[in-house]
Amino acid sequence: MKFLAVCGFGVGSSMVLKMSIVKACRARNLDCDIENTDLTSAKGMQADAVFTSPEMADDLRRTLSCPVYGIHKYMDVNEVGEAIDHFLANHN
Amino acid sequence: MITSILPITNMQHVSSISNWEEAIKIASEPLLKNGSIEKSYVEKMIKNVYAYGPYIVLNDYFALPHAEPGNGVNKVGMALLTLDQPVDLLGKPVKVFLVLAAVDSTSHLEALSEITGLLMDPEKYEIFLTGTINDIYNLFKGGEES
Repeated sequence: MKFLAVCGFGVGSSMVLKMSIVKACRARNLDCDIENTDLTSAKGMQADAVFTSPEMADDLRRTLSCPVYGIHKYMDVNEVGEAIDHFLANHN
Repeated sequence: MITSILPITNMQHVSSISNWEEAIKIASEPLLKNGSIEKSYVEKMIKNVYAYGPYIVLNDYFALPHAEPGNGVNKVGMALLTLDQPVDLLGKPVKVFLVLAAVDSTSHLEALSEITGLLMDPEKYEIFLTGTINDIYNLFKGGEES
């Protein structure tokens, strides 16, 4: 399973979001490949689910076919965990 | 590692501020003064918020302003500004601004992941939001040993 964390430039916020995803996956014993990247690169990448801001999620949904989750607080492991649970329940 | 990129001389506190743009400008001053960044980088950080939305507010009261690496950045660095009175950033209240200036996609990662690791601990996050500059500096200094 591959998850993608996306922000504008792929160097700051998405790195923090990636850490939240890693933490939430560990808590669920999920074995995942988790990468972070910028908005433009994300549009050409393959993933099972994408996590980004609500604003960029609207943009990414237009180009990506996989589920895209808008996360309000990148450091909130609970919010990220809820999105992962939604993905597991509906798309796995 | 954190304090080599974010020395105490890059950390400031003011009681309140008129708006978030001003907060990013003041927070960036130490990096401008030591030549780590150019003025254009500060403008880009502000533009970035309008372009992509307020996602740089990573958690309640905490923002990580940054822009494209290397463009207007001469040297990797971070700078911190804490406020007593939260300021609104497009609908989200912020008390701590941590400016990130990256030269590439890797050289700042160790410091950023150390900081994030510390701040995921709720007690440490509380110190980050309510502590003095010295408290925050010691928090980061302590995080380097573990």
